[in-house]
Amino acid sequence: MGENLQRHQSDQADRTEEFQGDLADCKGGPVLFGIRHLSPAGAWNVRKLLDQVKPQLVLVEGPSDFTEELEVLADGKAKPPIALMAYTSESPVRTLLYPFAEYSPEYQAILWAQQHQAECRFIDLPSSVFLAFSDAKENSEDVGEEERISVYRRLDELSGEDSHETFWERTMEHFSEGDGYRKGAKAFGKQLRELTEGRGCEDAKNVVREAYMRRQIQEAISSGILPEKIVVVTGAYHTEGLRGGLPGLSDAECKRLPMVETQKTWMPYSYYRLSSRSGYGAGNKAPAYYGLLWQGYQKGEADYAARSYLSKLAFWQRQNGNVVSSAEVIEAVRLSFSLASLHGYQIPALRDLRDAAVTCMGHGNFGEIAQAVADTEIGTEIGFLPQGVSRTSVQNDFYRLLEELHLRRYCSVTADELDLDLREKLSVKSEKAAFLDRERSFFLHRLRVLGISFASWQKVQQEKATWAEHWIMRWTPEAEIEIVEAQLKGDTILLAASFQLKEEAEKEEGIAGVAKMIEESFLCGIPQMISYATSILQRIAVEAAAVGEIAKTVQSLSLVIQYGSIRKLSGEALVPVLQQLFLRACLLLPESCVCDDPASRELTESIGMLNEAALSHEFLSEEEWIAVVKELAKRDDLNTRISGYAVAILLERGQFTNAELALQVERRLSKGVPADLGAGWFEGLSQKNRYALIARMSLWESLDQYLATLDDEEFKRALLFLRRAFADFTAREKSDIAENLGELWQLNPSQVSEAVNAPLTQEALGMLEELDDFDFGDI
Amino acid sequence: MAQETMVQRLPAEQMFQKEINALIKAEQDPIPTGWKMSPKSVLTYITGGKAGRTVITPKYIGHKRLVEIAIATLVTDRALLLIGEPGTAKSWLSEHLSAAINGDSTKVIQGTAGTTEEQIRYSWNYAMLIAQGPSPEAMLKSPVYHAMETGTIARLEEISRCASEVQDALISILSEKRISVSELGLEVPAQKGFSVIATANTRDKGVNEMSAALKRRFNIVVLPAPADLESEMDIVKTRVTQLSENLDLNASLPQQEVVEKVCTIFRELRLGATLDGKQKLKPTTGVLSTAEAISLLANSMALAGSFGNGTITDYDLAAGLQGAIVKDDEKDSLAWKEYLENVLRKRGAAWSGLYKECKELN
Repeated sequence: MGENLQRHQSDQADRTEEFQGDLADCKGGPVLFGIRHLSPAGAWNVRKLLDQVKPQLVLVEGPSDFTEELEVLADGKAKPPIALMAYTSESPVRTLLYPFAEYSPEYQAILWAQQHQAECRFIDLPSSVFLAFSDAKENSEDVGEEERISVYRRLDELSGEDSHETFWERTMEHFSEGDGYRKGAKAFGKQLRELTEGRGCEDAKNVVREAYMRRQIQEAISSGILPEKIVVVTGAYHTEGLRGGLPGLSDAECKRLPMVETQKTWMPYSYYRLSSRSGYGAGNKAPAYYGLLWQGYQKGEADYAARSYLSKLAFWQRQNGNVVSSAEVIEAVRLSFSLASLHGYQIPALRDLRDAAVTCMGHGNFGEIAQAVADTEIGTEIGFLPQGVSRTSVQNDFYRLLEELHLRRYCSVTADELDLDLREKLSVKSEKAAFLDRERSFFLHRLRVLGISFASWQKVQQEKATWAEHWIMRWTPEAEIEIVEAQLKGDTILLAASFQLKEEAEKEEGIAGVAKMIEESFLCGIPQMISYATSILQRIAVEAAAVGEIAKTVQSLSLVIQYGSIRKLSGEALVPVLQQLFLRACLLLPESCVCDDPASRELTESIGMLNEAALSHEFLSEEEWIAVVKELAKRDDLNTRISGYAVAILLERGQFTNAELALQVERRLSKGVPADLGAGWFEGLSQKNRYALIARMSLWESLDQYLATLDDEEFKRALLFLRRAFADFTAREKSDIAENLGELWQLNPSQVSEAVNAPLTQEALGMLEELDDFDFGDI
Repeated sequence: MAQETMVQRLPAEQMFQKEINALIKAEQDPIPTGWKMSPKSVLTYITGGKAGRTVITPKYIGHKRLVEIAIATLVTDRALLLIGEPGTAKSWLSEHLSAAINGDSTKVIQGTAGTTEEQIRYSWNYAMLIAQGPSPEAMLKSPVYHAMETGTIARLEEISRCASEVQDALISILSEKRISVSELGLEVPAQKGFSVIATANTRDKGVNEMSAALKRRFNIVVLPAPADLESEMDIVKTRVTQLSENLDLNASLPQQEVVEKVCTIFRELRLGATLDGKQKLKPTTGVLSTAEAISLLANSMALAGSFGNGTITDYDLAAGLQGAIVKDDEKDSLAWKEYLENVLRKRGAAWSGLYKECKELN
């Protein structure tokens, strides 16, 4: 340990010299250190510099009103990634986020100050001004941002890499010791300034920010701290603007800054969120990998990150049941170094590592290691804060909405019931009051989607009353925690619910599941999510091959389109998908109807659903549907029950003439057709629209003739199936049939009716039971 | 020279002799042992650029990074396996890599179901073997053997078509980097610079699964279909122009919009989504490679030149498309019909002619 320390110190002595030359340009003023946000090399170098300068005061870029929040870090209990957040008290909620990872230079500078009893302050505009600015920005076009993007694009082209992230990593993050980092950051910041200065409102904002920061620096100096004992840590872009010479913001100018009321809090952050929306322009797509770079600095091993990235990846693969040999890892390391040297560098960047891993461990397919890559690059790290520290914007939004929707009184630990009626209330004056219950329903559904147990949804007995909802409300400490957790998904309840729905819809694999998400989006009243989930549905629908599933989806979409209006949402976006699914069902249907009897029951149901949808929506091609149903009705190789059902549909729609029906009856029930098939057909036919069927005399004549042609054995068989076909006819229907038969056989209808409806005698039942055991295979 | 022009196809190093010479002349970076030029120059040769004043034509368009990985692999003396669907320029890339690295792309073994272990290692001139017994003169060295001796690259085409015992013969060569001739008591070590580039098809009938042991000896690069419409159209146009010069087709070159239509349809059906990404589609079972698009257009040109007025019409295209897309699978016909109705029909006037012709055939 002692030896280590000594080496450490002598190292430092060397570096002091390195810094010396560079520090000269700050003569007379405070020491300025330009960084990239979220940069391990920056974090390392800033600590080195602080060790050397030993300042009394460390100034860090960040809203000045956040300074008081720094106490939370003092006891060392907080564990990054964490973020400082400011949010407006009024709706719409806007937030300002300052996330810190362990390798954030700002974070390390703050820690250094606390460890060495130096004072530490944020010096940027207060959050109240920042958030007021972002209101103003909405209304103006930002040219500066475009300029900046084009600068990055040119950088990409010149560096010959896929992205400037790789360029940055190669030039800045890989062991740029001492002077290198600071000079590089300075040069880049300076040139970016020259290219974007004076353009767009982003730049105007920067002018104000820098003036404000200068004012803070000057204040610190005039309070009696030697300038050499002040270190200023800011983004590389700003160092040039903080140099002495330019005046700071005057008192009068300060007063004229716009302000909104804001709240501040620390909140736990996650690597995942850091990678997807870091809040900084710089972005940090692979936080876990950058964490490895940071560890590499602490260990003093330049290739530590490269080696441990590939080993971790291999470890993850093995943990999850994939075979990765050590030889493959070694080859991947070699390949990554070879790739780096192709670009003229010593140490592989993330891009080289990933490509090497794909080639050697993934057998050329990224898909094989995609999950391992996500885990190794992004990771699942979540920050930790001591209890009671956070009061997040989602919590605030929640309580604000409770107030707004008059739900405050339900916020108690005893359960309470709430009935909602989503229809417009005509008795009240304001529109808000008229739709209050609908807004409440949206709110409560969003909470439900987020898994916040504040309100639970009770299914209403009345099945089709889409306008009534019943909720049970109860506040618990758990619910409060769940609300804080929702912060990781979004800044407000609405945003968090959207994010949650989006995640879930993306995870779904079956179309029925996605249709469910669409339904959820309707319940939550989030139109954007409806269209998003719809696009996912479209994508998955292509793979759907089961008619049953498609029909169910068609039905639920059709319902959403029809009844969406109760929630004042248009289902317009669903139309193309519904059309596509319907077409698909039409194409698949004939072939799937070659099936056995149990399957046919399900299919007739599906056909019914599709028919219903075709009837309810004009945009579904009627012509196509009728053509398909006609095919079902006419083909001989399909399950006869389905063919019969198809005939019933056509009859109901008036697409089948009596002559056609007579032809079909004769064909289906002619001698030679096995009796079970004929009876099955009749069963299918009788599943729909019985009155019309009963009224068609010709049908009964044909049936009668058919039965007459059968011999005894065949009759026994047919009897069984026909009995089943007529089993669920009501007594009234049976009477009507009896009347028909009576007429046909020249008998008294009431006598026939009596005979048909009379309970079976013991003897007859016995005979039928015997028939049940009858082995039809012999016939 | 007169003789050469009669040759149907020249090897890459002869066809692009000038470019290779120019690159060697302009070389500035260190050259690995056994190579003719530096890895960077090989990259320039394949992806195009300049060497001194000579313009280097790109041989492989798009996916520069994959070429980088392939070259970096060969620098580390690992064997390289190019995998991809039929028609993704695997053999093309392998030929040009060895042409640039060694100036010789002719050490090739074509893998077939009938390839034997001897063809990978060595075999004998049996007349001499019987007359004189085993001797170095009676031995017939395989291309791999030659490559090991000279420290160059051997190419193995369609490795997955070989029987597994033949594939296994490669394992010892790749891991020991030596070949033993027990008949002569010889151990031949590979010279520095020796490596193997193999190619394999992923989506074909009659292929043998490669063993994990063999796969581990290769760095695997999967060659995808062209990344975007522009580069695919580029490739198709370049190759169709070359082909029509060679084959003397009496038709004018396909117009830009014809190439665009074919590439668009092929890409969309291959990727299973419309180009704007808004609509997902049912992909076909056939591969629909860029190579097929090229031959489809060449075919249409032949049709138009021989039986039509010399320009490709929608009628010619529709026939070609039908044949290329609906091969023998009933499912393809379904997918094609769905595509026609859901996508082509709604594409507007420029496409309506083609839609009608295709609809006729279905």
